[in-house]
Amino acid sequence: MASSRPARALPTALGVSFLWLCAAIAWVLWATPADEALGIVQKIFYIHVGSAFAMLLCLVAASGAAAVDLLSPSPPVDAFGRACTEVGLLFALVVLTSGPLWARKSWGAWWTWEPRLTLTLLATLLAAAVLAVRAMAGSAGGRRIGNALAVLAGPTSYLIHIAVQKWGGTHPQVIQGGGIQSPAMRVAFWACVAGLLGVAFALVALRARTLRLADCLAALQLDRQAATLRQQRAAMAGATDGQWAVS
Amino acid sequence: MTTLRLGWALLRKDLAIAVRTREVAGLLMLFALLCAVVFAFGFLRQGRAAHEQLPGVLWVTLLFTNTLGLLRLFAPDEEAGALPQVVRSIAGPAPLFWSKAALQLCFSALICAFLAPVVALFLDARVAQPQWVALALALGLVGQALCGALCAGLLTQVRLREVLLPLVLYPLTAPLLLGGVQVAALAMDGAQLAEMQGWLMLMVGFDLLAVVLCPWLFGRASA
Repeated sequence: MASSRPARALPTALGVSFLWLCAAIAWVLWATPADEALGIVQKIFYIHVGSAFAMLLCLVAASGAAAVDLLSPSPPVDAFGRACTEVGLLFALVVLTSGPLWARKSWGAWWTWEPRLTLTLLATLLAAAVLAVRAMAGSAGGRRIGNALAVLAGPTSYLIHIAVQKWGGTHPQVIQGGGIQSPAMRVAFWACVAGLLGVAFALVALRARTLRLADCLAALQLDRQAATLRQQRAAMAGATDGQWAVS
Repeated sequence: MTTLRLGWALLRKDLAIAVRTREVAGLLMLFALLCAVVFAFGFLRQGRAAHEQLPGVLWVTLLFTNTLGLLRLFAPDEEAGALPQVVRSIAGPAPLFWSKAALQLCFSALICAFLAPVVALFLDARVAQPQWVALALALGLVGQALCGALCAGLLTQVRLREVLLPLVLYPLTAPLLLGGVQVAALAMDGAQLAEMQGWLMLMVGFDLLAVVLCPWLFGRASA
């Protein structure tokens, strides 16, 4: 019974986070003022920034989990790392979709080689590559190879960040630059961030649990196949002994 | 000492095979030449070569050629069925990693020495300060050889590795490409060392990271 508690709690947590996020978006749409310069397009920020936070947290956690799993292999840590990579990739896609929508209105172009955009794109490509390698390499090999690449991806992403920062950029500084002036906007912004992070954490926990269960199931199936093979071998050995006894 | 001795022995064996057969290096140089020609065609403007494209053409051609070389890097040991034994040798997987990274560096340095003047000739480009371009190329090739040997080694037993290798390697080595292209562009314009220093330091940082992390990750992942 104890094992069924998290099974019920995790979907509930996801549902609560999702409802919170929906309420926050409704608050953004109806209760926050529109930006004077950008109009309604500015409201993309409420989703975009929170998704970027979730992406960053998930990918950093994935890299850390990969390092821990390489040092001392542990199936739950591996499942957590895989789940973080998958959810990080999902939020990266949200960031890469919402960013250009805002950029078209603000910068007049769907895409520019701006530092944060470039870093996000390369981090997304790295996460997708790690997942592709894991899928192609099978269970045991894929785990080690995927973890090694995920560990290398962490510091490399930081170097990419330094590299693209040297270009200089025009990305707005929403948090550090004091971009949110109105109190209503500030409340709605942090409510959206909380909702998106809640959804991200719940998705990671659910996905990690699903991956662990899938691994357990695969191990059980292997055990069952091994037991069947042992039975068949014993039956064949018994039949051969019988033949010898008759002859 | 065992690691060094074994690594040197493996490198000598691979170099002897490469010199005797002369297959891989020759074909890679031919591919690099073809790639440079295709890029030169792509950047022709009213019959004239676009000399400002030199950094991009040079680095991307090198990246593509190195990828082809990396796909054959572990092939001799794999085809002989010796890879598992070499990995489980007395000194662990480290000698194999270092010998393969050194071999890849030899191949890519050879190709680079041939390719850089050819690309400059095709694009009719003049570089005001070639010494800094050479330094950036050296730093870039070291980092690419280390990361490449790691990725190629890890993917030896993986399905569709020909597709997966560039998928993994290109984003991982992006800082080297960014730094190398910027240094080459600045050197073409006759910029001072101070302007390129940041990019060169970034490439040095990447190489240091690769020197520390790549052999460790290769050892952990192939153990």
